[in-house]
Amino acid sequence: MRNTNSFTRRLQAGAAMVLASLLGCAAQAAVPGITGGAATPSFDLVATQGYVSQPDGASIYVWGYGCNTQPSGSAPGAVPLPSTGCPKMQLPGPTLIVNQGDTVKVTLTNNLPRAAGNTSILFPGFHVTAVGGAPGILAQEATQAAAVTYTFLADTAGTHSYYSGTQGDLQVEMGLYGAIIVLPSTGGGVPTGYLAPGTGLPNTCFALGAKLATLDSNDYRLAAAAYNHPSACYEREYMFQFSEMDPAIHSQALQQSTLTCAQTTGCMSVATEPYHPAYFLINGRSFPDDADPNYSSLYPSQPYNGNPHMHPGELVLVRVIGQGRMQHPLHEHANHLRLLARDGNMLLTTPATQGALPKLAGPLLFTTTTTPGQTLDAIFQFTGKGLNWDVYAHTSNAAAAGSGSEGNGGAPCNPDKNGYYTTGSTPPAMGNEPNYYEWCLDHKLPLESKPFGSVGSGGPVTLPDPTIVANGPWYSGSPYLGPDANMRSVGPTPIPPFGTIANDPGSEAGFAYMWHSHNEREITTNNIFPGGMMMMMLVDPWVSPINEAN
Amino acid sequence: MFNPQLIRRAVPTILLTFLALPAAAQSFRVQCPTQTKLHPLVNGLPNPHIKCQQISGGDGFATMGDGTQTYMFSFGPLSGLADIVNGQPGTETAAVFNQNNLDPSGNVLDAVKIGAPDGASYAFNGAIGLVPDVEAQNGNIPAQPTTGPGSELSPAAWAQQHALLTGHVDPRLVMDVGVLNGNIPAPMIAIDEGDELFLTLTNVGMVMRPDLFEQHTVHFHGYPNASAFYDGVPDASVAINIGGSFTYYYLAPEAGTYMWHCHISPPEHLQMGMVGQLYVRPRQNSVATGASLYAQLNTDQSDVSKKCDRTDMLCSAQLPAAANSVARDATKHYAYDDGDGSTAFDVEYPIQMHGFDPNFHFVGMTFNPESFADNKDKFFLPNGRSYPDTINTAPLSTQATDGTPHFSQPLNTVINIPANGKALLRISDLNVTEFHTLASLGIKMHVIGLNARLLRDQDGNNMDYYTNSITLGGGETIDVILDATGIAAPQKFYLYTPQLDHLSNDAENFGGMMTEVNVCNAVDPTSKKCS
Repeated sequence: MRNTNSFTRRLQAGAAMVLASLLGCAAQAAVPGITGGAATPSFDLVATQGYVSQPDGASIYVWGYGCNTQPSGSAPGAVPLPSTGCPKMQLPGPTLIVNQGDTVKVTLTNNLPRAAGNTSILFPGFHVTAVGGAPGILAQEATQAAAVTYTFLADTAGTHSYYSGTQGDLQVEMGLYGAIIVLPSTGGGVPTGYLAPGTGLPNTCFALGAKLATLDSNDYRLAAAAYNHPSACYEREYMFQFSEMDPAIHSQALQQSTLTCAQTTGCMSVATEPYHPAYFLINGRSFPDDADPNYSSLYPSQPYNGNPHMHPGELVLVRVIGQGRMQHPLHEHANHLRLLARDGNMLLTTPATQGALPKLAGPLLFTTTTTPGQTLDAIFQFTGKGLNWDVYAHTSNAAAAGSGSEGNGGAPCNPDKNGYYTTGSTPPAMGNEPNYYEWCLDHKLPLESKPFGSVGSGGPVTLPDPTIVANGPWYSGSPYLGPDANMRSVGPTPIPPFGTIANDPGSEAGFAYMWHSHNEREITTNNIFPGGMMMMMLVDPWVSPINEAN
Repeated sequence: MFNPQLIRRAVPTILLTFLALPAAAQSFRVQCPTQTKLHPLVNGLPNPHIKCQQISGGDGFATMGDGTQTYMFSFGPLSGLADIVNGQPGTETAAVFNQNNLDPSGNVLDAVKIGAPDGASYAFNGAIGLVPDVEAQNGNIPAQPTTGPGSELSPAAWAQQHALLTGHVDPRLVMDVGVLNGNIPAPMIAIDEGDELFLTLTNVGMVMRPDLFEQHTVHFHGYPNASAFYDGVPDASVAINIGGSFTYYYLAPEAGTYMWHCHISPPEHLQMGMVGQLYVRPRQNSVATGASLYAQLNTDQSDVSKKCDRTDMLCSAQLPAAANSVARDATKHYAYDDGDGSTAFDVEYPIQMHGFDPNFHFVGMTFNPESFADNKDKFFLPNGRSYPDTINTAPLSTQATDGTPHFSQPLNTVINIPANGKALLRISDLNVTEFHTLASLGIKMHVIGLNARLLRDQDGNNMDYYTNSITLGGGETIDVILDATGIAAPQKFYLYTPQLDHLSNDAENFGGMMTEVNVCNAVDPTSKKCS
């Protein structure tokens, strides 16, 4: 038996290593969008009708923005537009990526059904001048089958929204909204004032393409920082646009879409009140569709996903936009976020000393409420600090861990001045350690009271018999992080649950957390749970590369 | 190359190796060690910084403001029962938690019975069900003397007295107390920064819904650097089946007002009532009277587990911008590790805002398919009750379908503030359908914390503010101080919601999200009664 056990274990470990070398995690999130050329970017958009799909099988009639002609480029480089290009209609509209200081030109052609009347775009926070079209109340409007051109100076960095300024209660509900990302004038460089490595701090601020030599050095960012501020650095970024849909409005609009009409205000009579939304969307998709890749061919009109992944210690920029008419309390499991900015305006201190660097003044939140028309930029980080047990299951018993294992008692954790194992440690981490950014006070502290598998014992708790609990599809099979610790923690018992696919115990074994609306009725899709405004965020071990490319 | 016969014979062998189980196969069970690596025995006694609590996951009934009984999926207390019925947290030290449910003769204590706790005189705070595992310890029990002390006992009584409490429970005792015994809000959890918490969830099943095989979990809502394993999300961890127990383990994080709830099918289990309060008291409470709060926080900066500066994006209790000489006040407690006394208070009141949709609860009791999009709450519940029940100082009980009254809503929301003193309102919202506003008439609300973090910027300036009302979405918390300085006692004020449709109890058009604030001469900080 003993031989069989160790053989099985070696087989599992071997299979895990092979898998780990073959597979990255198919996260494919990042913040993809289209670009319009240098200095004076130009975007040729069209508003038109189409359909989006929902996980309950529904195909819903919508209006959306798309590309009238193909854009001059896309970003980030690692997540290019698919060969099919930018569609004529998508939900949300194309994410426009520009640089701070650019003069941005957006041409909108109105290809909505004639019965919808005129349409327009608002660019909140920017001074817009318009050429062509017809005057509307909030903006110059594009008349039927004609165009209007808006021009504005992108003077404020950060995350912004754009949406219809015509009959908003109907047109925004129907899907006419999108995002603009303004990259700071520092571009791909690190903002001045960052406390550089060498002062005993980890290197967590990198120029684009100059990442640390970690096991996973892929770079999917649009810039090195969200703003021209040393505390706005990030290593990974995601954007979540929240909206809801009342299917009754969409079916009424569909029925009336073929009405003949010559009025600029359209000829539709769609009741937008009382409002009973049944679909709750992140980036135009409901859970679990939001976990599929960006530009997935399954969703030709819903190109953007919501599927955040990160490694311990990485600074993650979270861009949140309220695009619908309701507020949604977005609860981020795992840690707080520091609010950097609202509507592209940084929340900063007023230093007592003139000329001193203003610091962050935004609140720390575990629930970031989305508000219609408002954008939020926040920084998230997860390290596992302070659990009082070693998340990698390092043990003082090197023999038990196995000499080739990451759990080997010889694996170092030298604290930097904040207590983590980083490039700021003495001696420094090289950046390719499987336990990079480990919280060293918990290093080698056991979780389990009794010996089990090849992890330490003498800890505080006894874990349950895995056969009497229900195992979730994102559960790696153990409390520990990474395939090595996961394999060692189970001894001869196979890792439950069998068939875990979303968080493979042998190749990923990440920590999974739910990021979701805490108006819990909104994590449903047309009354079906689970669905709606829900995402699973994975903290992957450093040995598991995160692939956000197409 | 392969012998199919051999492979066929080998398969069962390989499968057998897969079936090797951990040593502690268990169903109901509690865990509450008297010592850990971090917290060793103190003079041979259990370390007081080890805190334990047991809760049931099941169902129960609650009484609404208009007198109707409402069915709930709910958590109930399985430890600290006496404290909970008195409006206190059910979190106990290991010394209190680990009490034998049997008397020295081996008979079940009177306190462990159907309908417990059953009155004001109820005093048992130990873990329900905890008994010595005589069978498992047979070899380790000393031999009974044939003469002298001990010889008079029956062999069973001798064995019972000399066996250790190892977490073994008698499931009958757990079921007697735990079935149909749900509370709204769920049993309160309160710990101190640095405590280790062992929270055991025991799933007793929902007797009103025998068609459901519902699991339950505990989500520590807002915990920083949470463990995915102990996060309670069934998709990302394990969930606890009926007839099973699971012990959640956390080292208490930074001080603040958090909350907890079940994370199984949240639109259903939260609406049905599986929501509770959780807060962590700051280490600043243990600064010696008269010592400088700032000096202590400054000293803490040399400890990486406590330091907070701008190199950590996600901590808020930074040193105040300017040094100060504010001393630890013997009569005050603090909400955060503020270093300047700005979060001092005399008495604290957890207030959890929730709402019940009676249609959904009816559907939940009657085996009907549920819809979520049309959820509409009709009962608005600060601490599980609507006005005027919010000012009834007695614990509310509701007769369940077993014909027995069960304490269902232990918490009133009467806010008593001593003259010239301060009350801390730890406000949380776990409504699953809409936002809640709570307003104060007469006394300004001083907001000092948000989402379990001190409102302070990275330069060390406090970002506290005054307001007359606060608005929270589901999953948010806020810390508000009501300052009675300069207000003559006695005087009465009100907390209420300006969302006027929330000032109702279903068809009754006055009630809902409302309670009283009394300024009186003195308030007992534990019982919170005016004296």
